[in-house]
Amino acid sequence: MNVRAVTSDVLLGIVPIALLIALWQALVSFGYAPATLLPPPGLVFMRLVHQLSTSEYQQEIAATLFRLFSGFSIAVILGVAIGLAAATHPAVNAVVRPLVRVLAPLPKVALYPALLLLVGFGHESKILLVVADALFPILLSTYYGASMVEQKLIWSAMAAGTPRRQILFKVVLPAAVPSILTGCRIGLVISCIVVFLAEMITSTDGLGHVLVTAARTFQAVDMFVPLITISLLGLILNGLLEGLRTYLLRGFPEV
Amino acid sequence: MMSGRALLGRLAPWLACLGLLGVWQIAALILDTESFPTAWQAVRAIPSILGDKESLINILASLRRMAIGFGVGVMMSIPLGLMMGRSRGVASFFNPLLMVIYPVPKAALMPIIMLWLGVGDVAKTLVIFLGVSLPVIYHSFQGAKAVEEKMLWSGAAMGLSAAQRMIRIVLPAALPEILTGCRTGLVLALITMITSEMIARQSGAGNILFNALDMGQYDTVYAMIIIVGAMGIGLDAAFENLRGRLVKWSEPGFDIPLSFA
Repeated sequence: MNVRAVTSDVLLGIVPIALLIALWQALVSFGYAPATLLPPPGLVFMRLVHQLSTSEYQQEIAATLFRLFSGFSIAVILGVAIGLAAATHPAVNAVVRPLVRVLAPLPKVALYPALLLLVGFGHESKILLVVADALFPILLSTYYGASMVEQKLIWSAMAAGTPRRQILFKVVLPAAVPSILTGCRIGLVISCIVVFLAEMITSTDGLGHVLVTAARTFQAVDMFVPLITISLLGLILNGLLEGLRTYLLRGFPEV
Repeated sequence: MMSGRALLGRLAPWLACLGLLGVWQIAALILDTESFPTAWQAVRAIPSILGDKESLINILASLRRMAIGFGVGVMMSIPLGLMMGRSRGVASFFNPLLMVIYPVPKAALMPIIMLWLGVGDVAKTLVIFLGVSLPVIYHSFQGAKAVEEKMLWSGAAMGLSAAQRMIRIVLPAALPEILTGCRTGLVLALITMITSEMIARQSGAGNILFNALDMGQYDTVYAMIIIVGAMGIGLDAAFENLRGRLVKWSEPGFDIPLSFA
């Protein structure tokens, strides 16, 4: 039953995407939209395949990925560390909570001009913006995951003779992993979005820059290509994270 | 004694704001560069922006677009999310599409939408609408999925039609989760608003911010950052207040919002 249900779900899921592409094609073929504004899907996908094979476009993707991964990794390390500290130390908690309350709803893009002025137009400002945006979901889910750990687990570990300082890594961290991974997933999507936006605002390379250049010269086809690329990148990265999740959580009961 | 603690709890966010401004002030004094004015200079530049009629109209126009985009987005996303949560077919119909759209930055659609609809209000509001929709759909979906089957069965046994069950059982039960989504959507609406105005430099708060950056008016840049930040924090606090009244019965799942870009 399961395999069949899954296949029918997948088929059902393809329908709206196919419909969307069909609608797109129909709009072009019946002349509702001029090809300069809405290029036919076939053309866009051909262009995408062509671009993916050129080394220039690959370098743009590499630049975007470098910023994305640097920012995301820093955000994961900081987020997990601060989240764990806030969940386990009341003093840290008292400082972190109000700070997060103020900083989390702050629109980080508005900080971007300040980052530009402070650290310049290179990689650093974009990476910092990714960190600022991806940090909070990861921090918050780590914090909630770690503070939900059952006290009984900690008592059992202590009764079994685990030293106090090891409890954090042997009990609290593993128990918080599912929640941390959920936060990482949100953080990853945000990183994709933010790195693209930062590159659109000021950049000399990267996918966002490709889009802006295309928009300035009214190359409609080239505007769609980076958008589809970032969507595909998001899907692939999400899939990788999902794989990591199943690997890390292989002992956990299905949630 | 208790009131002392409660007072401290209330004051904590304000203290955090003051602390951040203090750190800024000290950092600016140490770095001492022209492009990084002190917090005090930036705060002093705020009244001249808010006092200027044109900037005020610009900022209010931004807020109006945001309100419309947010309102329409919420209205359409909640029913869709609830239906996805209650019907497996609807869920598997829309899920892949939403997954494909999710990592695309909505503000990046701005150049394309501008080609079709021009640089006016419609394009910007549409982008805000798109940005708000996804988290609201996602959270409504999660909320509706978690509704207890037994309550629905009881409702059906008492003769409620499917539509009535949706409105009288699923909607209230999923409300806390929906409001969490709306809160994320609110922050997101603000972010999309700024970004869309930054890309379509015509009017609005984002336009003021980035024009000031281009012209090197650093005081204005930092003052606008404070204004936009205060809008985010203020709107969030107001929404949190409303949410507290609407779903008093439910434990707040996340008492701090997750912000997206």
